[in-house]
Amino acid sequence: MATSTAATENLTESVLELDYTPQMAPPVTDLDGPPKVHYLNHSFGWLSWLLTVDHKRIGILYLIPLTIFFMCGGIAAGLVRLNLIQPYGAILELDQYNKAFTAHGTIMLFLFLIPVIPGVLGNFFVPMMIGAKDMAFPKLNLASWYVWMAGAMFFIAALLFGGLDTGWTFYPPYSSKYSHTNVLAAGLGVFITGFSSILTGLNIIATVHKMRAPGMTWGRLPLFVWAMYATSIIQILATPVLAMAVCLLATERIFQVGIFDPTLGGDPLLFQHLFWYYSHPAVYIMILPGMGVINEVITCFSRKNIFGYKAVAWSSVGIAVVGFLVWGHHMFLSGQGIYLGLVFSVLTMLVAIPSAVKVFNWTATLYGGQITYEAPMLFVIGFIVLFTIGGLTGLFLGIIGTDIHLHDTYFVIAHFHFTMVGGMMFAWQAGLHFYWPKMTGKMYSDFWSRMAAVIMLVGFSLTFLPQFIAGYHGLPRRYPYYPVEFQMMNILSTAGATIQGFGYLMPAVYLPLSLFFGRNAGANPWRATGLEWQTPSPPTPHNFEELPIVTHAPYEYALPSKYNLESGHAYEVTKGESGGH
Amino acid sequence: MATNAPHEGESREPIVAHHFNNIRQQHASVRFGMWIFLVTEVLFFGGVLCAYAATRIWYPKEFEAGSTALNPFIASINTFLLLTSSFTITLAIRAAYKGQHTGLRLWLASTIVLGTVFLGFKAREYYGDYEEGLIPGPLKTQVDDVDTNGKPILREVSVFAVNLKHVLEHKGGKAKEISDKMTWNERDRTQIFFVFYYGMTGLHVLHMIVGIGLLIWQLLLAQLGFFKPTERFIYIEVMSLYWHFVDLVWIFLFPLLYMAGKHSMDGIF
Repeated sequence: MATSTAATENLTESVLELDYTPQMAPPVTDLDGPPKVHYLNHSFGWLSWLLTVDHKRIGILYLIPLTIFFMCGGIAAGLVRLNLIQPYGAILELDQYNKAFTAHGTIMLFLFLIPVIPGVLGNFFVPMMIGAKDMAFPKLNLASWYVWMAGAMFFIAALLFGGLDTGWTFYPPYSSKYSHTNVLAAGLGVFITGFSSILTGLNIIATVHKMRAPGMTWGRLPLFVWAMYATSIIQILATPVLAMAVCLLATERIFQVGIFDPTLGGDPLLFQHLFWYYSHPAVYIMILPGMGVINEVITCFSRKNIFGYKAVAWSSVGIAVVGFLVWGHHMFLSGQGIYLGLVFSVLTMLVAIPSAVKVFNWTATLYGGQITYEAPMLFVIGFIVLFTIGGLTGLFLGIIGTDIHLHDTYFVIAHFHFTMVGGMMFAWQAGLHFYWPKMTGKMYSDFWSRMAAVIMLVGFSLTFLPQFIAGYHGLPRRYPYYPVEFQMMNILSTAGATIQGFGYLMPAVYLPLSLFFGRNAGANPWRATGLEWQTPSPPTPHNFEELPIVTHAPYEYALPSKYNLESGHAYEVTKGESGGH
Repeated sequence: MATNAPHEGESREPIVAHHFNNIRQQHASVRFGMWIFLVTEVLFFGGVLCAYAATRIWYPKEFEAGSTALNPFIASINTFLLLTSSFTITLAIRAAYKGQHTGLRLWLASTIVLGTVFLGFKAREYYGDYEEGLIPGPLKTQVDDVDTNGKPILREVSVFAVNLKHVLEHKGGKAKEISDKMTWNERDRTQIFFVFYYGMTGLHVLHMIVGIGLLIWQLLLAQLGFFKPTERFIYIEVMSLYWHFVDLVWIFLFPLLYMAGKHSMDGIF
């Protein structure tokens, strides 16, 4: 905020004045305790939470059920993995196995990965990062939480009472002719949570466009905001089409006529087109916010400006745009035309470009930085390694020739989990650990958080690396039985899943404990730049006491003043670096 | 959530909500938000229009027959009503801009009335379709038919197909010609057209009901004096954006559903 005395004095002569250059940033301290009135204690009672329109409280409202849903999805995954210890199934009946992997996929995707970062960190930090008091539509924000909860409850109820055995993709005829499970109810649940996703996306887009503080130009937006913006664009453009696909599926089941059923004149490929038109961009809905978090964390813990701000910002938008043009690569073997397949294959290669731009820029940001390995940074390093593996194996699947070999094998499972768990889950953990002190005002255990990061990384790699090999040798996905020669791989996977599960339980213990036993974090425990760190921890109800005025780019960890002292041409240097005005 | 203190002597909510800096920002946000919402609506209807287009290209004859079986007379009246309601809601914005509160209430009320009459006619049309039995479904019956060798057989077809045949033959003229050229399989498949017909008009009706609900809510607010300061015209303005969109959807649905029979796709490919 440009209100410090030093800032006002020097504002006229030079743009160098940063009120949070590393020299002046507060050291890690617990001296400045929480403010007297903050968003957690300015009103009490459960009604004050359920009727709140404060974006920060809504973020917390998302956090709690999301954690529970993650546990549910994790338990379902545990059941699947346990069952696969033996070639003919260890604990589950066949239909239970189908229901377990469907529950795992649907819960993790629709109730965890899609809403987690937009719901929690997006809600909490997008307004703070751009210097706004709240989202553009606070009541709509609360409404979208209720819509989401209603849809999620509906969905969970459908899973508990009868289950769902279609796989997360709802392909007909699994979901139309041959399913005797709760496809309609579950579809309705997805439909409803989709609306929440649309409304959240709408809110974030309007917020980024209309609520930025003076001086917060598009070129000064934190990259997390850029990523959330790109995500929201996908949400509002893709989700309605899924809603329509589910509508048509419901119509088909209710009227018993053929839209997707070929015996009645329909076409199952039509469903796949409509479904993947949403669900491929949906994986970018899942990963882009994670990529946004990475930018915030990696600059902070390497004390450097991001390398290539504009490239990273536009690569988010690039992923969002190109992501809409590649859905056909899920259908190489579904009978779509071979030439169409070739086009989709080439377009799929294109997505690798913005993704690679990001990875290279993060690596370049690390180069020459003063890197420290706090827990968020460990998660970020895990992210970069695992996401790179996930991204590169994605190329195998995008090339039509190799995909014919690898299609529907464990290779796909491993690729998807490397991007979604190794990528998104690690990014979520990084974001949660990075922002936890800001959200709660308390600091968690340094040792246990680093341990958790390492354990998750080890467990994750042990789970999914063997699946690449098993998949390459032709082990098909979703089958309850497998040839005996694959047993070793499956046992390794299950062992890894156990370690991983243990790793996920650790934050669920030490983060809540930090609320009671943690020391006060202070306003800026990581000495990070960014408007959100200029507020006290936990933030006050309206975030900023007065309207902040932004005078510089988001990641000015580097020391432009050093140039100023040594060479005397700092003005030009800063002007060039702060970029995109 | 604390809000700004109400203006002096004013017990209602302040015009500028607590999280906006000024009225211009609030107006811009509200207007922008509605446009973004309409973008999602376009994509929503886009999905079904895409499915419609694909299916119509596969089954041009069935779509021609299904469309011919519909009743375009009521739909034409409805088109007129809906266009008029778009006009009246525009007059409502004008009244809100100018602070003419009687005019605002009058035009809001006329929009509500026109929309409700539309729904009434639509219900009558659905009832007509129901009476004619043009409802897709799994019910089967048997009809006399001949097999490929000309030998008389009993063929199992859907009740819908029989009803469609009757409706088309009863209409006579071109409709009968179309019907005579169809096989029983094609008559069966015409159900797909009717799924789209009920699905698309049903979604449109749903949007109309939501819109009329919101209009009634705004009429109540207008009655209570909510729009008295002219700054609040923005709510009427975004409401009208939504209403125009619903109108526009109908402009697409009308030719796609009711006029598909007039423009045969036969022989295009």
